[in-house]
Amino acid sequence: MTTQELEQLLAQQPIALLHRLARGRVQRHFRAGKRRLIEVLLRHSAENRPGFESDLMTLIGEQQARPSPPPPPQTPAARKPKPSAPQRRTTHRPVEPESHEPAITLSSWLEGLGVPPTKAFIPDAWQEDAIEKLRKGDVVVSVPTGSGKTYVAVEAARRAIAENRTVIYTSPLKALSNTKYTEFSKIFGPDQVGILTGDRRDNGQAPLLIMTTEILRNLLYDAGGGEIDVRLDTLGLVILDESQYIADPERGVVWEETIIFCPSQARMLLLSASIGNPHDIAEWITSIRPTPCHLVRHTTRTVPLRAGYLHPNGKLTPLFRTVGIPHGHPSYLHTEAKRLFIQYEDETLPSRSRR
Amino acid sequence: MPPSIHPIDLILALRDKHLTPAIVFLTSRRACDEAMQAFDHSQILLPPPRQRAIADVLDKVIAQYPSIAEHPLIPTVQRIGVAAHHAGHLPSWKIAVEELMRHGCLDAVFATTTLAAGVDFPARTVIITQSSIRKSRDFMDLTIGEVQQIAGRAGRRGKDLVGFAIVTPSPYIDLNVLTKGFTGHPEAINSQFVISYPMVLNLLKAHPLDQIQPILAKSFAQFQLNQRAEVLERKLDDLRDQMEPYGPRVCTDWITEWQTFDHVRRQKSHRAPVRRHEPPEVAARFHFLTPGRVVAFGRTRGVVLRQYRSKGQKSPMITALRLGGGITESPASTVTEVSDRVLDCVDAPVYPWCTPESVEELLHHLEELPGRLPELPILIPKDDEPIPDAIVQTLGDFACPTCPSRSACQRDYPVASKLRQEQHRHVKSIQALRTSLWHRFQEKIDVLQQFGYLTPTAHLTEDGEWARLIRIDHSLLITELLRAEAFNGADPAMLAAVMSSIAHDDDRPGAFPRVSSGLASLLGQVRKLAASLSPHEDPPLLRADIAAVTERWIGDPGLTWIGLCKSTTMAEGDIYRLLARTLEFLSQLHTLKATHPGLADTASRAIANLRRGVLEELP
Repeated sequence: MTTQELEQLLAQQPIALLHRLARGRVQRHFRAGKRRLIEVLLRHSAENRPGFESDLMTLIGEQQARPSPPPPPQTPAARKPKPSAPQRRTTHRPVEPESHEPAITLSSWLEGLGVPPTKAFIPDAWQEDAIEKLRKGDVVVSVPTGSGKTYVAVEAARRAIAENRTVIYTSPLKALSNTKYTEFSKIFGPDQVGILTGDRRDNGQAPLLIMTTEILRNLLYDAGGGEIDVRLDTLGLVILDESQYIADPERGVVWEETIIFCPSQARMLLLSASIGNPHDIAEWITSIRPTPCHLVRHTTRTVPLRAGYLHPNGKLTPLFRTVGIPHGHPSYLHTEAKRLFIQYEDETLPSRSRR
Repeated sequence: MPPSIHPIDLILALRDKHLTPAIVFLTSRRACDEAMQAFDHSQILLPPPRQRAIADVLDKVIAQYPSIAEHPLIPTVQRIGVAAHHAGHLPSWKIAVEELMRHGCLDAVFATTTLAAGVDFPARTVIITQSSIRKSRDFMDLTIGEVQQIAGRAGRRGKDLVGFAIVTPSPYIDLNVLTKGFTGHPEAINSQFVISYPMVLNLLKAHPLDQIQPILAKSFAQFQLNQRAEVLERKLDDLRDQMEPYGPRVCTDWITEWQTFDHVRRQKSHRAPVRRHEPPEVAARFHFLTPGRVVAFGRTRGVVLRQYRSKGQKSPMITALRLGGGITESPASTVTEVSDRVLDCVDAPVYPWCTPESVEELLHHLEELPGRLPELPILIPKDDEPIPDAIVQTLGDFACPTCPSRSACQRDYPVASKLRQEQHRHVKSIQALRTSLWHRFQEKIDVLQQFGYLTPTAHLTEDGEWARLIRIDHSLLITELLRAEAFNGADPAMLAAVMSSIAHDDDRPGAFPRVSSGLASLLGQVRKLAASLSPHEDPPLLRADIAAVTERWIGDPGLTWIGLCKSTTMAEGDIYRLLARTLEFLSQLHTLKATHPGLADTASRAIANLRRGVLEELP
């Protein structure tokens, strides 16, 4: 048997068999992955090739003689396993306790794909909740990306404008500010929306002002220094979009300054993507501002998400065993996706190590 | 098999399963550009009506932003319905791509992960090809929050019933990072409160010094520090409970009392022979095992060449020359007899520890010695000497030796002192947590006072009054440059060039046009000043090539955007961002009209020259 043949033979064997083979030969073999294990075994076999090969053969013989799949509890062990390759493959993988639940098929995973019928827009409960709570105090909204934070911002701004209050909307990036400027101009009408950036000022007297957070911070500083630059006395609402930026290493401090110096008569609405500790933010704002700060948190996405796996050969499979995302169970992988990914690693890694 | 799926196969697979439109996140700008190139000659064309729809949308955008009319990607976008979108593109191109996506015209956009954080345009499907992103020169695994932000782009509200996040492997992908990201709970975020010079100046402008601490206490940073302090305080309470049995004894502070007493006692005992775990006779003999001493090891006889203590050996060691010429290392305990005879021997610092001649001589003498030698009378001290009275007397200031609770104190001291140390440590760290922000603030005040922006009473000086208006990175360097009048007589191009080299913080390489000699010498000055300020403020990169790009754009009003792009290898988007940042810096200088009219004027002329062509298109 040439080394190459031996390597192929080893690669075909289940990892458990390799570990049995490595026992007594390789130290700490349980730490090694399959690829590494094969490498080490091959290196080791150079010393006593015949002994190694005969051990391997006995182990393979045992493997085939033994009914290889651990009989599932529902069906008695009477069924005889076929020694066909794909079936052998599935049996080596550690059997997880949940696996009796059959994995979903691609068609059921793709089911539901499509365009929903157009219907009148009904705000979600959390959106109503956020707007309602803004009457009583500041609000921190932490919801997944794409859940419709903008709706909350627009509604809140609409109400404040109706009460003749100025609204300031800030975003972390100039590009985002510009997008929002066009978006809000369409919603409220161009005369109602203004934009302030470092060097440009359009419609600065409009009731809804869009700016980057830095600009607002500067305005607040100037107000603190006695020079009032914008109508801060009529300021009714400050909306800080993407406020998870408070954790940005370079610019996070700007959000803190803005929140600290925000005039107390204005309400604050912080819109943030899902973060781990939104209650900390809410608690903090409560502790430094006159009105309590409410947290509106929502974790399920409006449009449900599904995860898939696309193999480089173009084969698509679900990534997880369930249709949706199995929250809290990162190892509920779909068997097919897992097999394909292992195959991918098997095929790409050795070629790299040989180079 | 290819290491990752080919873009054409990817698009075909997505079209086949009706998973378009999709955003394909790739590792780098280059990967996006290469993916676009792959479609150059492909024939997977869109049906003509859709091609026309794309052309319509593009026409509208081009009417608004003429700079992209000649964009090299337009043919591919129209034929295939795919586009690239990354930071190397002009904002107007990105707007065009976003517009196309919003109209649902495209099948796929190849983008870098910066998109995930920036502009929002969702798609039905998101393709993830990586599990790590480049953050300040290092590749870091995606955090759960980042994976969810990327995956969050999948599924358009009102246009899709479900969204799909599809992983397709490429080299270096770690599936675990992604599956954890999909199924996990996002990480907690932490405050990144940095105290900057403009912040100090602006705060002191509005509030007197004694009001600053309460303001800092309102920060999220302090809120989180307090949270940590509270954890420590709870631990401190636990410690207090544990300290209960070690409360006041005969003396109230018995731990300190015992500690000092023990310390003094130990110092005294230094004079006593060092106690080792060796029998007293060995210890006593060891002093006499000096070079030249004749000793016996059982039946053989030898001469000691040196003695030493080795960390690896429990007992002291000697090197001996044995009868017969062997030189051996053996523990002192193997010596059975110490004779009163000492032979002459000349020491040497290395093996055999004496000169070769003296080895010969010693061997000779050794052989000549009589069979029996008188033994050295060595007094062997008895074990466990009591503490001599003399010591007790000098320790007379302490009550401990005669105190009734002495044995209890001695027994409890190790535990109690450990607990107390821990207590002290916690108290100190709580203090540090509560006051660290304030200390950091004071450090900045010290620097500003040193440079004369603040009076000793922490009020703004004349210079401080204008310096607080410079609220950008590297503000100290800029204000110091202004005070050194470095820009006196500088033309708008030079001023803008220096500002851009201060503003630019990216180290992507770029080939560059030549720098004018005036600018080169000015940059040299700026570099020198930046280096001298480096203890107080991190110096900027101050790249000459960056300065040269800006200088050309502002100094030569006839230069077209295309011409500028051709003079450097920087990507269009990077040049745009550089000039936009320079604009921001210049407009900060422009706010100094009142105190630096000349400079403000130069800055406004530079701004006017800068805002043309592509830079005029966008707000």
